[in-house]
Amino acid sequence: MHIFEGFLPSPWWQLWFVFSIPIIFFGIYRLNKLVSEKRELLPLLAVAGAFIFVLSSLKMPSVTGSSSHPTGTGMAAILFGPAIAAVLSTIVLLYQAIFLAHGGLTTLGANVASMGIIGPVAAYIIYKVGMKANINFYVVVFLAATFADWITYVVTSLELALAFPAEVGGVAASLKAFMLVFATTQVPLAIMEGALTALIFKYVIQVKSDALLQLNVISESVLDKIKGASQ
Amino acid sequence: MTNILDDYALVSPLRYRNNWLKLTIITFGLLMGVSSQSFILPFTVAFCMSFATVHFGKIPVGFYLKLLSAPAVFVILSVIIIAFFFGSGTELFGFNVFSYRFGINTGGLDMALLVFSRTLSGMSCLFFLALTTPMVELFSVLKATKLPDSLIELSMMMYRYIFVFLEVAWGIRYAQTVRLGYKDWRTSLNSLAMLATTLFIRSWEQGEKIFISMSARCYDGRILFFEEKRPVRATELILTGTYFSAILVLWYLTNDISIF
Repeated sequence: MHIFEGFLPSPWWQLWFVFSIPIIFFGIYRLNKLVSEKRELLPLLAVAGAFIFVLSSLKMPSVTGSSSHPTGTGMAAILFGPAIAAVLSTIVLLYQAIFLAHGGLTTLGANVASMGIIGPVAAYIIYKVGMKANINFYVVVFLAATFADWITYVVTSLELALAFPAEVGGVAASLKAFMLVFATTQVPLAIMEGALTALIFKYVIQVKSDALLQLNVISESVLDKIKGASQ
Repeated sequence: MTNILDDYALVSPLRYRNNWLKLTIITFGLLMGVSSQSFILPFTVAFCMSFATVHFGKIPVGFYLKLLSAPAVFVILSVIIIAFFFGSGTELFGFNVFSYRFGINTGGLDMALLVFSRTLSGMSCLFFLALTTPMVELFSVLKATKLPDSLIELSMMMYRYIFVFLEVAWGIRYAQTVRLGYKDWRTSLNSLAMLATTLFIRSWEQGEKIFISMSARCYDGRILFFEEKRPVRATELILTGTYFSAILVLWYLTNDISIF
């Protein structure tokens, strides 16, 4: 869920930049380290970023009738970890602002915070905890992608509520209002994206599971288990 | 399926003007719009930037208006919430739902109008940049900043592959549609998943191939591009200067004006 250009007044848009920039730089630091170890990774990350952009430009069938698109951030977090997902999302968000008029430049900090940092971190934590707890791989992927979207939507509502607190009840009241209104589109959308991400992983495991092994997304024992179950 | 604004920017008559001048203009517009306390200034900025985009940039008016309406759903929903929950003053109109009082007061309406005008001005600045400056030109600007090389390399390669994959995605989508792949909700979900997977696998293999081909051409972590020098013309400078000073004067005069 993008916040559009000009929507956040000062000082909120600056504050969200202050929040996001150090984390993006940490992501770049991790990226540099990774790339200097494995040179072949940079082109791979670039195509992954392009993949996320194209995925987010595809319209998804939506229950409410409004056309919506997947964000792909949950998937990026599972594949590359949250630090690199933050860098990729920043570039994707910048391109979305310039090519598709989704989001904006002054609100980039806030959008990166909700969609590129907090959402992916949540997805990553859910994924790691779920895999430790030995839950079915597809269920974990579904939960991670769904919650990444939901948490993104809660954070976006919070960003809006902080900037526009209600006269009666303050931030809490307007947070409730923003969440209620956006829930109609975001709740079913997140479930759709979760299902889509789980399906994508199912096909990827069938066709090109070595890619997932190379990225350390799943261990070989888990992969064998999934493949054994589907055959 | 999706309008990529970059296509318009590539053929724009303003493409070969100085990038820094264009960036200065839009940064100025964005900052003035977002920091204005009155709705008059953002509307003026929006009008000026839209005029510049349509008139100097030769963008069809209908297409431009369609673009401006893209964020409509999000903006209208949020503006309504702000109007109802924000601000104080005399109530203009209201109603009761389950013993809760919902009302719009003067403060809320002012704020809603201000936020709406800011969004409009911000979007029109963004569209000016998007419709007149292709990403290729912005890379030279990015290179001049002190951002880390790996980030810029990553963005350039990503940019290149966005178009390759979009073509693949559209092709697959066409093929799926004519085979009734999107006839109902369940099938579309499955089709979309297959499309995304194919795309993922294609992009993965493509990524491996690029690395081999780039290494063969002595890639050492830096792609170099040819850059042209484009001096700012006097007329452009005068026009921009007039626009900036007019906006600043307007800002000084109207900053405390609101409808109530």
